[in-house]
Amino acid sequence: MVVYSFYIFDRHTECIYSKSWLPPAHSGAANGTTTTAKSAADDAKLIFGTVFSLRNMVRKLGGDDDAFVSYRTAHYKLHYYETASNLRLVMLTDTATLSMRNVLHQIYINLWVEYVVKNPLSPVEHKGGAGVRNELFELGLDQFIRGLM
Amino acid sequence: MITRTVFALIIINKAGGLIYNRTFHEGGLNKISTNDYLVLAGTFHGVHAITARLNPLKFPATNRSSTSSTGPLTRPELPSGLEVLESENFRMQCFTTLTGIKFLLFTDTTQANVDLTMRRVYDMYTDYVMKNPFYQLEMPVRCDMFDRKLGSYIREINNR
Repeated sequence: MVVYSFYIFDRHTECIYSKSWLPPAHSGAANGTTTTAKSAADDAKLIFGTVFSLRNMVRKLGGDDDAFVSYRTAHYKLHYYETASNLRLVMLTDTATLSMRNVLHQIYINLWVEYVVKNPLSPVEHKGGAGVRNELFELGLDQFIRGLM
Repeated sequence: MITRTVFALIIINKAGGLIYNRTFHEGGLNKISTNDYLVLAGTFHGVHAITARLNPLKFPATNRSSTSSTGPLTRPELPSGLEVLESENFRMQCFTTLTGIKFLLFTDTTQANVDLTMRRVYDMYTDYVMKNPFYQLEMPVRCDMFDRKLGSYIREINNR
C-alpha cells in the first residue's frame, strides 16, 4: 500500500493542510520549486472541486444520508471522509488499497481533535492553515501514515 | 433484501450530453427528473476530465515539451479518468470507449462482475445502436432492439 498525498479542507472550502509522501522526482517534474508550489495549490483546488461535485452527485442519487466514500482511476484511488462539522479529509493512494475510511476517521479522532482542536493556542478558524501545522500533528500524521505503508 | 442488483444505466456522449438513461430497479436510487440527469451527465463529464489530470504520479499534458526531451521512446500512458465510484448506498462503474463515450452503470455496493456486465452492455450498444442505419451519432439513443435486449439481459441479472 502506498499513500501519495493527504489534504484537509475546512467548511469554507479552503485547503488548510496538505502533505505529499511522493519522492521529489515525481512531484517536482524538473520544473523548479515555485512551479511545484503553485501546481500543488492548483491540485488542491482541483481535488476540492472534484470531491465537492461527486459528493453532491452521490447525495442527489443516493439520498441525503448517503456519503461519498472513494473513487478509483487506473492510476490512483481517492478516499474521502467528511465530518459532521463539514471538515473534509481526502487521501490519495495507489489503486490496490482497500477502503481508507476508518484510517481517515482515526486521523480525525486521534490527530485532528487531539492536537488541533484541543490546542488552546490554535484559532477556531484555520485561515491559511493557521494552527494546523503544529509539530505534534505533523509528526503524528507522518508516523501514522508511514506505519501504514 | 435484494443484494445483487443493477440499478441504472446512463450513456454520455463525447461532448458530455446525456444520450441514454434507463432505470432497471426502482428504489435503488432516488428518482430525479430528466433535467437533473442532464445536469448530472454534464457535471460528471467535467469531473471525469479533472480526475484524469489529478494523477499524482505524473504530470500529464501540461508539459509536453519536457516529456519529449526525455526521448521519443517513452510513450506516455493513456490518461485514465474515474473508473469506479463508491458510496455508502451504491457503486458506479464508468467505462470510457476510445471514441469518448461513457457508460455509467449504477449497481448495488456488493455487485460482483460489473466489468462483465459492462462488456455485454457495450456489445449490445455496438450491435443494436451503432449498426442501426437510422441512428445519428451523438444523438439520443432511441432503438427498440437495444431497449428490449438490454432490458431482458439486466432482468436476468437482477432476478438471479
